[in-house]
Amino acid sequence: MELVLPTIINGLSLGGTYAMIALGYTMVYGIAKMLNFAHGDIIMVGGYIMYVCMAMGNPLIAVVAAVIGCVLLGMTVEKVAYKPLRGASPLAVLITAIGVSYLLQSLAQIIFGSANKMVMIYDFGTIKLFDVTVQVSSLITLAICVVVMVILTLFIKFTKLGHAMIAVSEDKGAAQLMGVNVNGIITLTFAIGSSLAALAGFFYLLKSPSISSTLGAMPGIKAFTAAVIGGIGSIPGAMLGGIFLGLVESISYKITAIAPYTDAIEFAILIAILLVRPNGFLGKKRREKV
Amino acid sequence: MIGKFKIKHYINYIVISIVAVIFSVISLSGGQIDNSTLFLLEKMTISIILAVSLSLVVGFLGELSLGHAGFMCVGAYIGGKVASLLEESLGNGILTFIISLTAGAGIAALCGIIIGIPALRLRGDYLAIVTLAFGEIVRSIFQNTSAESFGGAIGLSTPRFDKKYLFIIAFVLVLATLAVLQNLIRSKHGRAITSIRDNEIAAHATGINVTKYKLLAFTLSAMFAGVAGVLYSFSNYTVQSAKFGYNYSIEILVMVVLGGMGNINGSIIAAALITFLNTKLATILTGDLAVLQNLFYALILVFIVIYNNAPKLKGFRDKYNLASFFKNIFKHKTDPSIVTDDAAKWDVVPTKITMDEILSVDITTNDNGQSDEGGKSDG
Amino acid sequence: MKKALSIALVLLFCIAMLASCGSKNYSSNNTEFVIGLSGPLTGGAGMYGTAVKNSAQMAVDEINEAGGLNGIKFKLIALDDMHDPTKIATNYSSLLEAGMQISLGTVTTGPGLEFKNLSKDDNVFFLTPSASGDAIPEFPNGYQMCFADGNQGKVAAEFVNANFKGQTIGAFYKSDDSYSAGIFSQFKGNLDASVKVIETNFTDANKTDFSTQIDTLKNCAFIFMPTYYDAATTFMYQAKDVLDKSAVYYGCDGFDGIDNVEGFDINAIPQKVTMLSHFNSKATDGPAKAFIDKYTEKFGADTLNQFGASAYDCVYAIYGAMKAAVESGKSIPVTISASDLCEILKGQFNGGYTLKNAVTGSEIKWDKTGFVNKGAIQYTIKEATK
Repeated sequence: MELVLPTIINGLSLGGTYAMIALGYTMVYGIAKMLNFAHGDIIMVGGYIMYVCMAMGNPLIAVVAAVIGCVLLGMTVEKVAYKPLRGASPLAVLITAIGVSYLLQSLAQIIFGSANKMVMIYDFGTIKLFDVTVQVSSLITLAICVVVMVILTLFIKFTKLGHAMIAVSEDKGAAQLMGVNVNGIITLTFAIGSSLAALAGFFYLLKSPSISSTLGAMPGIKAFTAAVIGGIGSIPGAMLGGIFLGLVESISYKITAIAPYTDAIEFAILIAILLVRPNGFLGKKRREKV
Repeated sequence: MIGKFKIKHYINYIVISIVAVIFSVISLSGGQIDNSTLFLLEKMTISIILAVSLSLVVGFLGELSLGHAGFMCVGAYIGGKVASLLEESLGNGILTFIISLTAGAGIAALCGIIIGIPALRLRGDYLAIVTLAFGEIVRSIFQNTSAESFGGAIGLSTPRFDKKYLFIIAFVLVLATLAVLQNLIRSKHGRAITSIRDNEIAAHATGINVTKYKLLAFTLSAMFAGVAGVLYSFSNYTVQSAKFGYNYSIEILVMVVLGGMGNINGSIIAAALITFLNTKLATILTGDLAVLQNLFYALILVFIVIYNNAPKLKGFRDKYNLASFFKNIFKHKTDPSIVTDDAAKWDVVPTKITMDEILSVDITTNDNGQSDEGGKSDG
Repeated sequence: MKKALSIALVLLFCIAMLASCGSKNYSSNNTEFVIGLSGPLTGGAGMYGTAVKNSAQMAVDEINEAGGLNGIKFKLIALDDMHDPTKIATNYSSLLEAGMQISLGTVTTGPGLEFKNLSKDDNVFFLTPSASGDAIPEFPNGYQMCFADGNQGKVAAEFVNANFKGQTIGAFYKSDDSYSAGIFSQFKGNLDASVKVIETNFTDANKTDFSTQIDTLKNCAFIFMPTYYDAATTFMYQAKDVLDKSAVYYGCDGFDGIDNVEGFDINAIPQKVTMLSHFNSKATDGPAKAFIDKYTEKFGADTLNQFGASAYDCVYAIYGAMKAAVESGKSIPVTISASDLCEILKGQFNGGYTLKNAVTGSEIKWDKTGFVNKGAIQYTIKEATK
């Protein structure tokens, strides 16, 4: 028990950040049906916006500015890079998304240089939980994650816009015929996804205050892994996947012999899940129609 | 049927051979080639092999592989390890090279099969992620091996092949890669692979064994990435796994995209050009300017893909593309036998198809699974 | 279309070829002694490469102002390798073709492993300021100004053996990094059997959230941390309230610059932070102080670190050895080939040549294997907050 409890608590703490990023991933993938490789880099942009705003002092302004900045960025990227490719092959969209991801990284490096920057947004301190010292920010991340998950689920289930989103995700053509503004809905999806990315960036920086231009790349890929494990397109699935991944990471780090292979283990789990259960834990089964 | 010898079908072999012969003659006759030129040639050939082999999967099969560097990593480590084991008994000669090449390419091909099996079940985005995951797993494993086996974090030290000769072997390997892949693509197998890209369900319906061809494409692509890896290990003193990350896979992808998807000659030129620029720009762009290079690649990816694929730009593309630009210069007659894909755009309805345009005809598999080979017209 | 493409291809190779014609003895047209250097001027390790380049340039300028070697001046050429070993072959040959006669090698270890082999073939002397891998001075032409990783691990282990006999200590390192893993394995190998180590590690892909690692080490009073400063700052920030306030961090030369990270206030960390170093960046007297003042004036304090200090010493060591050789009757013309100069310098370095009153040590010598022999200081970056 002495070993198990801290591991679980640390896993939850690690998983919270992944879950937060995965929520944004799964929204965009579920509705726009495209893998937004640049999602992780929007987190990075959010981080740099907060870094610039923190020079003015107020953490609250920084977060609001990051959310607004990321929403605008997400919508612009969608408009400029992804919208022209609607109807083109998925391969083309995927490569463009990789290109956008690279573009954001190199722009950030040109503007802010390649050295790491540190930004202390706010220090919530730590508390003792079952004899384990936990960062308060980790708990806040988890709590906000649950709140966001509930809000998103309610939004999609019970609002008109939410229904329109489901319609677009099921069949773009039919949705258009039923009077849904497909382009508008997809832009909205990107806006929501990007604001979640900005929030994820905030929680990320609360925990580890170091920013570089590649900050979002690996967490982005890991969070996508989490989204796939949970069942892509499923909002509770993203949360579940993120926490699962956090637990795996935490357990793997506890065992010295396999600790260096943690990344390999996570990715191996991803491949295994895709082979055995391609729809993840909570994903809906879809049949390919001819 | 042995078709008429058409120079345009062999132009890439000819050009590459000429370049290889020129440099070999200068080098072997004790002439004046700088080491930097030899290193550049080695790097170019490695890039060409990588780009052409990735082009098979991305350009012809239509699946995105983000783990190409992973296959190369396998080839480099296995080939390098075999070479360092053989060096004592066989010396660092051509025999060692051939054995290492077989081992490296073989194991890489095996990995291709292993990763090709999920490729059969998954498509599009999921497949891209699986290949990415594979690349990271391979890197992570080699990075954490013990110092005695594969060098661990420090990297594996490998024997370097004599730089005077390595580039000649590299050119031969480029020609071999081309011979295998280009002939495959121009054969009925190649057309089967392309048809999977264009419409997998339709291809399946016409009796093409989708499973077999996907696996074939993946395995061959991985094998040649392994060849490039072995070449890499022979052109460096150490193999350090940090090189074979996700970023390197993307760099290869940029070459394929810049060269034009499904255009082998384009991939060759783009690979040579990007490698050339990478080495030459590194001495010009220093400090934070070096990032401009990455920015340039990112812009290439975004703009070329949007330009080539955006449905709305189709009319624009047909009107102003490179091919029609050159056509206007050389004033080609419109050939009614060229069938364009959009019937509404036909100026002249095709009335005849010349016999040597037909290379072969495939007819469906019957119920017993026996292939009822058509192929009459190429017999 | 195909014709046009093939013409383009041939043109491309022709350009490559035209650029390649030159003579074999590249230094025969030199009018200055050319020192070559390859290091990461951009990317994650850019801070180190920049410091080395700036400091070496500073030393070269000083020597030139003082008249050079009997009137012959020195010139430094620094190329960017972005900490990527595959760029070394090109950089090395470009340097050689630009007339390089002596080298400072590479700034980091990974690329240095390529460099040592290439320079061995041409017999080019190199004295690296900061590539600390044990295998770097493997061949007779290679020398180190910094402590080798194995030596750092050993010194740290001796410190622990003397102070923590029979106790439990913690260790935190990066498993996929040659520097970090290399020091740790030497540390562990030299540790007294009575000392128990709780070890935990991380990889490049997971360098942002160390909750598990911190939890593993939470009861340790002494943590050995052979990592670079970026991961160390994240660890310390996340662990500041978890670890005991009296705990001590003990880093190696990778900690250098930890008190200079933009936006990071080392005083916000309550624990004591110490490092093993050959350079005191807060020195108040002696050559170190003079170097710090001059560097800060010229380039600012952002990139001031021991890598630069070491590079500064390297240039003076090479200059001093050449001067000593000339004084002992050897002739060093400005067009001397790299190989001939290498033989002269090897003779000096193996023959007990000593660099005195340098920035990173008062008396610096080299043994025949190329390892440096000088005193290490355990330098306290900050004391524990009461």
